[in-house]
Amino acid sequence: MSVYSAAFRDFRESLEHLGTDTPSEGISDDERVQRAKKTFMEKLDGRMAVDLETCIHCGMCAEACHFYEATQDEKYAPVYKIDPLRRFYRRELSPMRWLYKPFTHDITAEDLETWQELVYDACTGCGRCDMMCPMGIRLSELINVMRQGLASAGFVPAELRALQNEQRDNNTVFGVGADKLREIIDRLGRQGIEIPLDKGQAEVLVLTTAVEVLLFSDTLAATAKIMNQLGADWTMLSQGFEAANLGLVSGDEATQRAATARLAEQAQACSAKIVILPESGHAYQALRWEGANVLGEVLPFEVLAMSEFIAREMDAGRLKLKSPANGSSVTYHDPCRLGRHGGVIEQPRQVLKALGLDFREADSNGRENFCCGGGCGEYVIKRAAPLRHKAFEVKKREFDETGADAVVTSCANCRINLMIGADNAGWQKPIESLVEKVAASLAE
Amino acid sequence: MTLLDFARGPALQWSLIILVIGVMWRIAGALLIMAKKDLSKPRRKTAVRDGLTTIATRSLPEHQFEKKIRLQHYSGYTWHITLFISVLFFAPHILFFESILGFGWPHLPNDVILVTAAIALAILLALVIRRASHPVQRLISNADDYISVVVVIVPLVTGILASAHIGARYETLLAIHLLTVEALFVWFPFGKLMHAALTFPSRFQAGAAFGRKGVKA
Repeated sequence: MSVYSAAFRDFRESLEHLGTDTPSEGISDDERVQRAKKTFMEKLDGRMAVDLETCIHCGMCAEACHFYEATQDEKYAPVYKIDPLRRFYRRELSPMRWLYKPFTHDITAEDLETWQELVYDACTGCGRCDMMCPMGIRLSELINVMRQGLASAGFVPAELRALQNEQRDNNTVFGVGADKLREIIDRLGRQGIEIPLDKGQAEVLVLTTAVEVLLFSDTLAATAKIMNQLGADWTMLSQGFEAANLGLVSGDEATQRAATARLAEQAQACSAKIVILPESGHAYQALRWEGANVLGEVLPFEVLAMSEFIAREMDAGRLKLKSPANGSSVTYHDPCRLGRHGGVIEQPRQVLKALGLDFREADSNGRENFCCGGGCGEYVIKRAAPLRHKAFEVKKREFDETGADAVVTSCANCRINLMIGADNAGWQKPIESLVEKVAASLAE
Repeated sequence: MTLLDFARGPALQWSLIILVIGVMWRIAGALLIMAKKDLSKPRRKTAVRDGLTTIATRSLPEHQFEKKIRLQHYSGYTWHITLFISVLFFAPHILFFESILGFGWPHLPNDVILVTAAIALAILLALVIRRASHPVQRLISNADDYISVVVVIVPLVTGILASAHIGARYETLLAIHLLTVEALFVWFPFGKLMHAALTFPSRFQAGAAFGRKGVKA
């Protein structure tokens, strides 16, 4: 897909209208504060308490944040983004609360409104600060609790709330339901790419996302080619295909749980032993690492990212590729929730090298990779665009330094955000899908 | 009872009682807030090893991040090392520890200790100036950050004065030095100096949490 394709332009245009008619939640200030506090109390646990007790206010976390890196604005220091949560903890939960309470300001609705921008627009939960903190504090977990508190207080940005409401109420994202999926599958079928839909029983359940259906159907086609070459017993399900989880990104746990439960039920209904997630970092985190925890039970199937699955099949010698040739040069952008938060770091590199590509590592990579700047739903927030574009400059500089011909990633959301950044900056380097690269190299 | 008797007697006893009970209270209070069991299937089952590794590795310079935090990192190393040398290898301190523990260890010359204490003091002063002037640190600092610096600086200053016999009779200087150390003991459990104890569980849990996903923390 070209950076300047019509579908991409249409998608960018549709983002402009997202959330414009989302009604305000009509909650009083007192109620907002009470709801946020209730959520903070429910979500803070012993591990987070240790983290909050340990912070020495060194501010080194700022140096890890792409938004701070891009702007040098002190308010983007990750530790500052959790300030209301820290104050709540010191007043209500800390073992020394009897001493701290008189000296610690209570949180207000104005605070929550102010921190909405810091937590949603200026944080993608990428977790790079987790790796920087000399105390080992996992700031991304604490910022996630901030998102959950703000969500319960009705402070989710309108664009994200529109998407979350849509998934909660209609089980669709960007309006993509079963009909749209069938339409794409039929179209691919006419091109000779078979996707088994709604098989009663299958060993492997493959998921996709609305973004893949709308924008990156080539990735869906590539997935099908790989699964078919492997001769896998696989299916997609019209009532359980959407891997995106707007509950996770907005901080609304009820929506997160419902979306996860739906997938788990569908996977069990078709007796799937393996569920393969599409190229989506947050979808991987939602099902692979948080799925069992939000449902309160161990998942009875294995969850794999597509890139992880491909690497495993290559390792086992089951995936047949053309002989590696001296390929073009590529660098890899690690999606935060697939790499740093997910552990899928070496597998994509192993795959790219097996394809015979001239693989070039960016200065920040793997567990230390800079976020694309638009993860965790940030890229749909319109007012955050100038900040996002500044953060893109950090990525652009690092990509340029590699001298690679193209950037490959394994997350459709990273890809869109990088494409939007590139489009905005007039930067012409292609941003490609790992799965599509593999499909293009399959042996005939 | 002279000031020195007070400093060596009830003041020392009570400050140590507050220190021990306060530290135990704060650690137990945080750890006793229950954490939910992680039900996701771990990529690898090496949580203890990963946690212990992270305790060590977070003290080491990191490739990517080192460029950005060099000043804080190396001033931090130097500050902690010079402080420990000044506390643990000064002959009178060793005699004090020996009276409690029943054994001692070799000491360093007084002049060396004076230099290390002066370096520690200078770094601490530089870091507090940075805290007050650096936009990020200024924004995130609270009273604890400054109180904790003061309660550490003052024993360093009084210790240097006492060992150099400057400003008053030695017994008076020693009593003041002891009282300032005891003030540090009293403040320790309430402020951020507690990181000396909490760093270990905090780093451990980061290492274990990332490790179960197969990521080196």
